[in-house]
Amino acid sequence: MLRLLTASGVCILATGGGLAVAATGVSIPALGLNVSAPPEKAAALQRLESVATTDSSPVPAGPPEPAPRPIPARMLGSGAPVPISPSILQVRNGWLVSNGRTLVAVYAGAAGNDPAVGRVVIVRQDLAAGSQTVRTIDAGQTGALTIAEAPLGSAVETSAQTDDLRLRGADGRALRLDLGTSSVGGR
Amino acid sequence: MRPTVVAAVLAAGLASFSAVAAATPSPVGAWYMYGASAGALKSYAYARACDFARSQPGSGTRLLLLDFGAARKLDSSTWGAIDFSNTTFSNADILDALKGAADGYHNCHVRGGVDILYGNSNYHLSASGMSSTDAWYAGYRQAERAEDLANYQSAKGYDSQTADAASDMEPSWDGAALTKQLVNGDQGQGWALYYDFGSADGCPQSGSTDGLCNNGWHVSDVGYVSFHGLALPLPEIYYAANAYQWTLVRKLGSSYFFAGITASPGGGLAPTSAWSTLSSLNGNLVEPELVCFGC
Repeated sequence: MLRLLTASGVCILATGGGLAVAATGVSIPALGLNVSAPPEKAAALQRLESVATTDSSPVPAGPPEPAPRPIPARMLGSGAPVPISPSILQVRNGWLVSNGRTLVAVYAGAAGNDPAVGRVVIVRQDLAAGSQTVRTIDAGQTGALTIAEAPLGSAVETSAQTDDLRLRGADGRALRLDLGTSSVGGR
Repeated sequence: MRPTVVAAVLAAGLASFSAVAAATPSPVGAWYMYGASAGALKSYAYARACDFARSQPGSGTRLLLLDFGAARKLDSSTWGAIDFSNTTFSNADILDALKGAADGYHNCHVRGGVDILYGNSNYHLSASGMSSTDAWYAGYRQAERAEDLANYQSAKGYDSQTADAASDMEPSWDGAALTKQLVNGDQGQGWALYYDFGSADGCPQSGSTDGLCNNGWHVSDVGYVSFHGLALPLPEIYYAANAYQWTLVRKLGSSYFFAGITASPGGGLAPTSAWSTLSSLNGNLVEPELVCFGC
């Protein structure tokens, strides 16, 4: 039935964070504007609009077996995806460690809008508490930074998360990233 | 100034502020997935969705974006992703994790609804050996898994949930022609919305022509991957420059509107300011959705 709506020009009404489909064009009453939604999106937007706010099933699902999986400290090569947008960071390399409860990933390179500015981005996840932070730290006019030396292996899955990483600027300058204080300074 | 005038001015100011504040959505958390094993991936997805449900603001339907990393062809007939821990997962593993997220949201549901998104990216598709056909199938299979998840949600009575697909499509990460195949594959499957939570990096911030972006992309290519077929733009707005770039993408499009934005405290704009900046430049053609990595 939803597919039929794609052929008929529909109207999507945003209602405090949701979308509502009506008869013609797209209306966003909360914002006071109307635009036309392409018909090929109509069925999917209609489905989105029909999402309820309660579940018909009150039965709790069985939670999965807890499976904390430590990740030994390691460098991330060029094949590993980078979550940070190039508009923030032009990545040179990365480093990762997790003890299964907390995780730290460091990506080093240059500012996305200025290759002369060395930059690191630190992603931290507290998997137990359910928090994630993304912190950007600039090192000044060093050129792109590279992680030159870092703790490695399974013996440092917790301690390395507050340890130091050695960085090298494009100008050859040696720097130190203190993960305990999230700061970059001279070595 | 007389007290009544002062009061009137203050009241007008407050009314204006209230209108803006009411329109600006509260951020909801999105996650980079560092799984390391299929079991860990599912366990984390369950926990993240539970956290999301417990803290979900308002009563609307919000987007829960789980970013599983870069789309990959794993063998001749298997697609999936390589996550941020550099571990490959098949779509079967990812679907299992997404079902865990659906269970987690259900068990911890407080208010509102959720659209759980299977997110990936166009990171180095060609360097991993993927052809144009492979990329098309990556989008197709991704959409299939989103539909599979929706069927699971329906069968379980999770009426406060639905599922769709998403991709962090960045010009710097691969070519426009190959990236478009992700969107085309999704459209070929025909069921899932395809949220583009990527960038318009290198694109011009002003003008009225189809200017050049990074890696040989044009503004119209960004418009294609973010609005063609079932695609919807959920652009990364980290700096004011990004809002100007995406405004140009919108101006060159037809019937173009934004499904919301993706933000992060790691950028130069606070997440709520990022949404307000894009909205103010686009005649309020920005849905009240604010997905945030790191909030």
